[in-house]
Amino acid sequence: MPPQITRLLLVTVAIVVAYFTARHFLVPASFGQYGWYRADALKDYQLLPINYAGQAACADCHEEVIKKRAKAKHRSIACETCHGPLYAHANDPTVKPAKVGNGNFCVRCHEAAPARPEKFPQVVLADHNPGQKCTECHAPHLPTEAP
Amino acid sequence: MIALLMAHKEASAELLQHVQGFIYPNELNLLWSVLIVLYPYLTGLVAGAFIMASLERVFNVKSLKPIYRLSMLTSLAFLLVAPLPLLGHLGHPERCYEVMMTPHATSPMAIFGFVYAWYLMAVLLLELWFDYRKDFVEWSQTAAGWKRPLYSLLTLGVRDVSEKALRLDDKMGRIITIIGIPSAFLLHGYVGFIFGSVKANPWWGTVLMPIIFIFSAMVSGIALLMFLYLVTCWLRKVTVDMTCLETIGKCLLTALVVDFSVEALDWIHRLYVADESLDVLVLLASGKLYYSLFLVQMFLGMLVPALCLAAMIVYKEGWKRRQTAYFVCSLLVLIGILAMRWNVVIGGQLFSKSLRGFTTYKLELVGQEGLLMAILLVLLPFVIVSVMIWLFLPRAEMTGTTRAIDD
Repeated sequence: MPPQITRLLLVTVAIVVAYFTARHFLVPASFGQYGWYRADALKDYQLLPINYAGQAACADCHEEVIKKRAKAKHRSIACETCHGPLYAHANDPTVKPAKVGNGNFCVRCHEAAPARPEKFPQVVLADHNPGQKCTECHAPHLPTEAP
Repeated sequence: MIALLMAHKEASAELLQHVQGFIYPNELNLLWSVLIVLYPYLTGLVAGAFIMASLERVFNVKSLKPIYRLSMLTSLAFLLVAPLPLLGHLGHPERCYEVMMTPHATSPMAIFGFVYAWYLMAVLLLELWFDYRKDFVEWSQTAAGWKRPLYSLLTLGVRDVSEKALRLDDKMGRIITIIGIPSAFLLHGYVGFIFGSVKANPWWGTVLMPIIFIFSAMVSGIALLMFLYLVTCWLRKVTVDMTCLETIGKCLLTALVVDFSVEALDWIHRLYVADESLDVLVLLASGKLYYSLFLVQMFLGMLVPALCLAAMIVYKEGWKRRQTAYFVCSLLVLIGILAMRWNVVIGGQLFSKSLRGFTTYKLELVGQEGLLMAILLVLLPFVIVSVMIWLFLPRAEMTGTTRAIDD
């Protein structure tokens, strides 16, 4: 065989061997056990701290709020969407949940934006009773009523 | 963190002022930035330059001999930089090797990694090695300083330069070029495929997309070689081989006409089919993309150079003026194809999937995906090709067998 072909074959074999050696060391051992991902990632996720308690945990103690909210369009929004993660509070009620915004939290969803559907309630905060907090006129759990 | 959120909120508020009509909330910010514009641009230059080299090697267009090696080196230099815009775009570029370690057959980007590796190792490097082997052996004996061990290393220890060995080199080079032509089409056709397969996006999702990309790649690659050949000759004070330049010019004109025809065909097809997306696409072309599509891509990047190149076939006076005209044409075409990539990549993200509105793209100056990074990535292959020309393209090789027409 001509020397240049022999040498190229050797280089090719070296590249292939290098690839599979790199693969041996770089691909995690549990990769492909269940699918196209690292199976050990599931264990890693299980070890992550739990932050959210879920709607049912809130209803255990705050049933009156849930009932009030059931009359409002906000009924489809989970408690922790606005109140944040409440797992610690649900386990130990002495742990106070974080305060929701500063009274103008509503504009996160209700500030006027062209990207929002026209029928969705929207206000321009600068024009809509400026200087006042939303919660002065709207009860957060039933916004059509005063607090 | 809060400062970052505030900055993001301010940026979004600024972008919102430029939103027209209705868009979905997640369409405000473009996911693919200017770096993804550069990715098909650079890959196209690679494929185009290689196809130009193959004209001399496989199709025996002897007048292109002065640019054969320049084409190959250009193709290599741009290929080395082609994945960098993708890496810059990734949030975690250090994880890029994973796509090659655990490639999935349904991932276009994973397969692109292998197409890229094939093109680099089995086509470009191999062909260059066979072509340069004799020179490497010679230079490893005559060169001085650190260049001597470099050339010696590049021989891979094969020092046989007998007539029989050189005949084999030539034969192998020819075979690899023949394999290389479909590989070059595959490399850039694949980039077109990535866009063309996004069926949810009517601006991209057309089967003509890989074909459009291949012909625009040929256009940009030929223009790049014209540009580099002229600049290298001027800088090295070497006489420009006008026969070679004229042939490149004719190739560029042919490629431009075909590219224009395919793109026109795409538009005619869209207009005739007139599906529900047509209105927003017409608004896009006549609105947000007006300057980059009609002025830069079509007029300056296609019509003006095509007319100029056609005129130069008829009028053959003044070789100095002709060189300048070819230089300007090549530059215009390069800018035009860059605009084409911009129109495809950015244009395809400017309209809402609701087909009822437009968002906007604000190009940042600095940052991982900013203008400065883009300029750096465009300049980098030129720096690499300059080093390669210095190392592997002796001044004597730049001159062809024919001299300037009226020199």
